[in-house]
Amino acid sequence: MDETTAIAVILFIILFPIIMTPVIMAAGGRSEKLRNALALATSAVTFLLVISLYPFIMRGDVVQHTFFEILPNLEISIRLDILSFCLAAVASFIWFLCTVYSLDYMAEEHGGSRYYAVLVFTLGSCLGIFLAGDFFTLFVFFELMSLISYILVVHEETEQALKAGYKYLIMTIIGGLALFFGIIITFEIGGTVSLGVGSIIQEGTLLALLAFVCFLIGFGMKAGMFPLHVWLPDAHPVAPSPASALLSGVMLKTGAYGLFRVVFHGFSVELIQNSNWDIILGILAVITILLGSAVALTQNDIKRRLAYSSVGQMGYVLLGLSVLNENAITGTMFHIFSHAIMKSCLFLAAGAIIWKTGKRLISDMGGVGREMPFTMVCFSVAALAMIGIPPLNGFLSKWTLGLGALDANLTIYALVLLISSLLNALYYLPIIVPAFFEIVGENENSHALQLIVRDATPRMLAPLVILALCTIIFGLSPINIPFELSRLTSLFFLEGGLM
Amino acid sequence: MGLEQHFPALIIAILFGIAFLSPLLFRWARKLSAPVLITTLAMATMMAVYLLVLVYQGGEFSYYMGGWPPPWGVEFKINLLRVYMLLIVLAISLWIMVYALKDLEHELKQELMGWYYSLYALLVGSMAGIALTNDLFNLFVLMEICAISACAIISIKEDRACLEASFKYLILSAMGTGCFLLGVAMLYMVTGQLNYDLVNEALPAAIELYPNNMFAAAALFIVAFGTKAALFPLHVWLPDAHASAPSPSSAMLSGLVIKIYAFALFIMFYQVFPRPLLESIPINEIVLWLSAMGIMFGSIFAMVQVDLKKMLAYSSIGQIGYVFLGIGLDDTIAVTGGFYHLLVHAIMKSMLFMTAGVIIYSTGIRQIKQLGGIGQVLPITMIAFTIGSASMIGLPGTGGLISKWYLALGALEIGRPIFVVIILASSLLNAVYYMPIIVNAFMQQEEFEHEVKPVPRQMLIPLFVGMAAIIFFGVFSRPVISLLENALQIFF
Repeated sequence: MDETTAIAVILFIILFPIIMTPVIMAAGGRSEKLRNALALATSAVTFLLVISLYPFIMRGDVVQHTFFEILPNLEISIRLDILSFCLAAVASFIWFLCTVYSLDYMAEEHGGSRYYAVLVFTLGSCLGIFLAGDFFTLFVFFELMSLISYILVVHEETEQALKAGYKYLIMTIIGGLALFFGIIITFEIGGTVSLGVGSIIQEGTLLALLAFVCFLIGFGMKAGMFPLHVWLPDAHPVAPSPASALLSGVMLKTGAYGLFRVVFHGFSVELIQNSNWDIILGILAVITILLGSAVALTQNDIKRRLAYSSVGQMGYVLLGLSVLNENAITGTMFHIFSHAIMKSCLFLAAGAIIWKTGKRLISDMGGVGREMPFTMVCFSVAALAMIGIPPLNGFLSKWTLGLGALDANLTIYALVLLISSLLNALYYLPIIVPAFFEIVGENENSHALQLIVRDATPRMLAPLVILALCTIIFGLSPINIPFELSRLTSLFFLEGGLM
Repeated sequence: MGLEQHFPALIIAILFGIAFLSPLLFRWARKLSAPVLITTLAMATMMAVYLLVLVYQGGEFSYYMGGWPPPWGVEFKINLLRVYMLLIVLAISLWIMVYALKDLEHELKQELMGWYYSLYALLVGSMAGIALTNDLFNLFVLMEICAISACAIISIKEDRACLEASFKYLILSAMGTGCFLLGVAMLYMVTGQLNYDLVNEALPAAIELYPNNMFAAAALFIVAFGTKAALFPLHVWLPDAHASAPSPSSAMLSGLVIKIYAFALFIMFYQVFPRPLLESIPINEIVLWLSAMGIMFGSIFAMVQVDLKKMLAYSSIGQIGYVFLGIGLDDTIAVTGGFYHLLVHAIMKSMLFMTAGVIIYSTGIRQIKQLGGIGQVLPITMIAFTIGSASMIGLPGTGGLISKWYLALGALEIGRPIFVVIILASSLLNAVYYMPIIVNAFMQQEEFEHEVKPVPRQMLIPLFVGMAAIIFFGVFSRPVISLLENALQIFF
C-alpha cells in the first residue's frame, strides 16, 4: 500500500461514518432492520479498513498529509503512525462489538434512529481524533466527539440523565476551552501546531508551563484525571450500556491519546523531565488511581462502580506516561488496549444483567450468575483481568508498568499499582462471588445447584464472549500482537523517528 | 466620468432617496414598496462589491462630494477597511430586510409599514455614510440621522416598553452625540480642520500648544462612541432597547448599529489622532479594561435573564466587548480578530434575533423557561439557534472560533495572557446560558403545549443563509482575514 492509497483510506475511515449518519437517520424512518444493518455495516467496514492499514504500519511508515490551511500555518491535516493505528484499531473494534450488542439491547428503547446515527457519527469523530495530523484538527474532532456524545449520555432523557449530561456538557466545554488556550499558546511559541515537526515547544518558560497545564486540563478532563473526573461517574452510568462501554472503553482513551501527543509532539521527553513536569502528571496519576479505586468500593450501583473503576484505571495510563521510559510506555499502551477490552466487556455484561433482570444494585445481584452463566463468566474473566491475575491481559499491562516504574527507580509507583490491585480485588470479588454462590429465594435451605438459564440473547452474548476471550488471548498467547504494537510504539517514540 | 465613479455617493443617495419615496409608494402602490426597498438594498450591495473590486485593483481612492476637494468639500475615503464595513452594513441589512417583510406583518400595524421602510433605508444609508466619510462634521450629521432612525424603529411598535426604551436610548444617544460634537469642536478649535487627514496632519503641532484640548477630545470620543456602541459601563440603554424592539429592528441594532460606532472609534483613534498622542495617554488601556469588564458583565447579566430577547441583548454587550478588545490590544492580529468578530457577530446575533422573532411569531413565547420541547415543533429554527450559539461559544467550525483565535493570539503576541483568560471565561459563560436553552428545546420529554403557527418560508430562508454564513466563515476564513490584514497595514 503506498502513501496515496493510505491517505485515501484514512480519509474514508474518518468521513465514511460521518457521511453515513444522515443516511442511518433517514433509514430509521423507513425500516428499523435496514437502519440496524447500515449501522452494523458502517462500523464493520470501518474496522476492516483500519485493520487493512496494518501492513503499512508494520513497514514503519508514517503518513502526514495536509489538506488545506484554515489560517496561515493552521491546517486541517491527517497523520497515521503506529500510535494512531493502535488506538484507531482498538476503537473501531470495540465500536463494532458494541453495535452488535446494541441490536438487541436497544430494540425496545425509544429514539433508536437517533442513537445509531449518533453512535456512528461519534465513531467517525473519534477516529478523526486518532488520525488528526495536528493539534487543531485534533481539537476540532475532539470537540465534535465530546459534544455529540452528549446525546448518548442523555439518551434515556430521565431527569438524572439530563442532570449528569449538563455536568458533562459544562465540563466538556471547560476542557475544550483549556485545550484551545493550550493550542493557541503552542501556536504562539512554535508558530505551528502540526504533529509532523517533532517537538514544537523547546523551552520550559512560564508560558510553556501554562500550555502544559492547559493541555493537562483539557485532555485530563476527558481521561477522567483527578480532580477533573467529577463528570465521569455521573455521565457514564446513565447512558445506555453499549454507550457506557464506548464512553469508558474508548472515549476516555482520547484524553490519554491527546496527552501522548502533547508529551511527545507538543513538548519533548527531555523538556518534560528536565523541568520536572512529569512529577505533576505522576502525582495526579497516583491520586487518580487511589481515589478511583477507593470510591469504587463504596458504590452499590454496578455501573457507577465500573465508572469509578475507569477513573482508577485511567490513572495507570497517566502513571505510565509520567514515568516515560521504554517499559512504562509499553505498559501504558498495552493498558490502553487491555482496559478498552476489559471495561467494555464489564459494561456490556452489566448491561446484559440490567436488561434481563432490571437489577442495578450490587446487593441485589446474588445468584445472578446461575441465572445468566455466560454473562457472568465473561464478567468474571474481565474482572479478574482488572485485578491483574495472571495470565490475563491486565496482569501483563500492570507487570510492564511496574517494570517501568522500577527501571526509573520509582518504587513508590510500583507500590501504588499493587495497592490499587488489592482495591480492585476488593470491589470486584464481592460482585462475582455472591453472583455464583449466594443462594436467594425460597430454596434457601437447599444447596443444590439449580440452573435455570435465562441468559441474554446470542447477539448480546457474542460480543461479550469475544471480549472475554480477548482478555485471555492477549494475556497468554505467545504471538501477542497488541503487546508487540505497544512495544513498537514505545520504541518509536523514545528512540526517535518522530517525523 | 462614468456613473461608476459616483458609486460612493450614489449608494447613500439611493438609500436616502428611497427613504423619502417609501411612504409615498406605500400610499400609492402598496405592493411595490417592499420590492423596491429590497431592490435598492441589493443595488447598493452590488455597488459596494464593485467598490471592493476597484479598491483591490487600484488601491485606496477618495471621492469628493460635488467635486470640491477638502478642506471645502466633504471627502469620502474608499479603502479596504471602509469597503469591508460598508459591505457588512449593506449585505446584512439586505438579509435582515428579507426576513423583516414577513415578521413585521404581525409586529406592526399595517399602515406603519411604509414608515418603517423609510426609517430602515435612512438607518442603512447613514451607516453606509459613517463607513465611508472622511469628515468629522459629516460624521456628526450621519450619527444624528443614525441615532434618530434607530430610535424610531424601536418606538414604531408603539407599546409602553418600546416607548420607554426608545426614550432612554434617545437621551443617552443624544448625550453621546453631544460629547462627540464637543470633541469635534475642540479639535476644530486647535487645528481649524474637519477632514480626518488634515486634522491628523495639523495635530502634532497643535498638541504642543494645547495638550489638554487633545486629551479632552480623546476622552469625549470614548464617551461618545462608548455610549453609542454600548461599551461597559455605558451600556445601560441597550438591553431594554434591543429587547423590546420588533425583532428585525433588534437584529439590525444588535447586529450593525452598535458595530458601526466601534468602527468609527477605531477610525478616530487610528486615523485621526496621531500615534504619539495615542501612546502618551493610556487610551488603549482604558478601552481594554472597559471592554474586558463588558465581556464579563455582559455574559453574567445574560445568565440571569428570563426573557429570551433580553438575554440576547445582554449577550451583545459582551460581544461588542470583543470588538473593542481587539481595538484596545493595539496589535495587528488582535485588531484583525476584532474586525472579524464584527462580521461574525453581526451575522450570528442577527440570526439569533431572527430565531427569537420566529419563536415569537409562531408561538408568542418570550420566556426562556417556556421553551422546553420547542425543538420538536420548530426544528429548523432551533437548529439555527444551536449553530448561532455554537458560534457564540466559539466551537470549531463556526466563525466565532476564528475571531477568538485571532484575539487570543493577539493578546499573547503583546504578552498579556490575562485577556485570553477573559475571552475563554466569557466563552464558558456563553455556554452556560446558551446550552440549557438548546438542551431543553430538544431533550425535554413533555410535549410542547402552546399553539404553534406555521412559519412562512420567507422567514426560514434567511435562517438557512445565516447558518451557511456562520459555517462558511468558520471554515473558509482565509479571504476575509487576508483582506483585513491588507486593510490594516496602513494603520500599523
